[in-house]
Amino acid sequence: MKLKIVSLILGVVAMVQVGAAQNVAQLLPAQLEKDLAARASEVTEVTLTKSMLGFAAKFMDGKRHDDAAVKQLIEGLDGIYVREYEFDKPGQYGPEVVEQVRQAVSTSEWVPLVREQDRKHGETTEVLMKVVNGENRGMFILEAEPRELTIVLILGPVKMEDLGKLKHLSGLGALGAVSGAQHAAHGTHTGGSK
Amino acid sequence: MSLEPMDRMDEFEQQLRTALVRQAAPEGLKQRILEARARRRASVGSPQSVWMRMAAGLLLAAVVGGGVLWKRHQEEQRGEAAREQVITALRVTNRALDNVEIKLAAHDTRDGEQEQRRTR
Amino acid sequence: MSEQERPDFEALVDEHQSMVFSLALRMTADRGLAEEIAQDVFLELDRCLGQLESAEHVLYWLRRVTMSRSTDALRRRKTRRFDQWVEMEDAHGALEAEPASPLGVRMEALLATLPEAQREALILRYQEDLSPEEIAQTLAAPVATVKSHLQRGLKMLRAKAASSLGEFIRKKGPVPISNGAGWEGAGGES
Repeated sequence: MKLKIVSLILGVVAMVQVGAAQNVAQLLPAQLEKDLAARASEVTEVTLTKSMLGFAAKFMDGKRHDDAAVKQLIEGLDGIYVREYEFDKPGQYGPEVVEQVRQAVSTSEWVPLVREQDRKHGETTEVLMKVVNGENRGMFILEAEPRELTIVLILGPVKMEDLGKLKHLSGLGALGAVSGAQHAAHGTHTGGSK
Repeated sequence: MSLEPMDRMDEFEQQLRTALVRQAAPEGLKQRILEARARRRASVGSPQSVWMRMAAGLLLAAVVGGGVLWKRHQEEQRGEAAREQVITALRVTNRALDNVEIKLAAHDTRDGEQEQRRTR
Repeated sequence: MSEQERPDFEALVDEHQSMVFSLALRMTADRGLAEEIAQDVFLELDRCLGQLESAEHVLYWLRRVTMSRSTDALRRRKTRRFDQWVEMEDAHGALEAEPASPLGVRMEALLATLPEAQREALILRYQEDLSPEEIAQTLAAPVATVKSHLQRGLKMLRAKAASSLGEFIRKKGPVPISNGAGWEGAGGES
């Protein structure tokens, strides 16, 4: 279970301001996305607007065992934007890319939950929640590493506890075995259940 | 991690390649295939199968003429594609959050160790 | 191919049955199902043989159709997951003509637990020695997607092997050395 992050969300102070409407499709300029994709050795790009999410939900009719869980998770969301780039070598993207992404979530309703910078390894990790009138209205994740860049933007009420339940999402395999191996390698213990 | 040509694979990849050497087909598979082929060829020319094919052809003509089933099929394909996109997005999200949690846990461990050293 | 040039169907079965069976077996982890798929594939080949233009075309066609039928079969039924190599051996019952090594059986068992898309890419690469471009053609998928599946699949397989096989983890190449910078280091290293 993503205990730390969920507990951070629950502890966030209510914000009063209502920010400007966010367009899920415009986090990065199109040309910049093309450049990153051209330089990456593997690319995952998903942009789902509210209507596309609604359309997809119609086809989650319970034929697959995770349909109900996924449908519940995406219900009410306004959009999902995912960009994941893996590069063969470091230096394929500069800090200006990361700054551009961070600009999109620099308004006051975006509250940082995690902000870590590991200068030694050139890694940056950020998790922000969008809080409007005390309610969770979005999530932003940025993982910048020398050879990998991951950006996730979800707009709308994100049900974190439901997201955590999807670790056995069809096609993921047994994530527990992988993260167990990683934790063993790091000598850490995962607190709480996933 | 780039994909190397076969002669530059690491030991793990070579072991995987060895493990995935083709297995011999089961005893008698060829015979069963040839028998099934012979049975199918025998039934294709029978009067019953000819009538069935004609009936299927008429039905198909009616359906294609109407276009309803085809449109439904196309919409289902689009829906399936949209569903796959949702799954991919959630998978990436889950993975990113897992990585964040691992980093936080590692960070906590380092902090704990540093604290222990300071209090000794 | 003309009637005269068309290879003998039996000869094609002799030449390719092991390949077709192995692909189906590694995808489904079920001998009985793999045999059924192999039979269906060759019956389909018999129907389509006149449309295939060369020996290479036949090979490409067989791989493509076998993978497609295998994934269809998987969707029609739940795939068993093998966490222990001993289970894999039990499920397969009698001895193989050439008994697989314990490591080989374990690797296959771990492979069977991977997501389908990654499994099919890995099987085509490491069983059939296909390049990512050839795999992409076979699966009618973008090359970038295939590379992604290969890299992720291999990564996951290594991690699974680390926890269950211990001694078989070996990462390739040196770890990139950080220049110690902050934001600049995130994208600025060479």
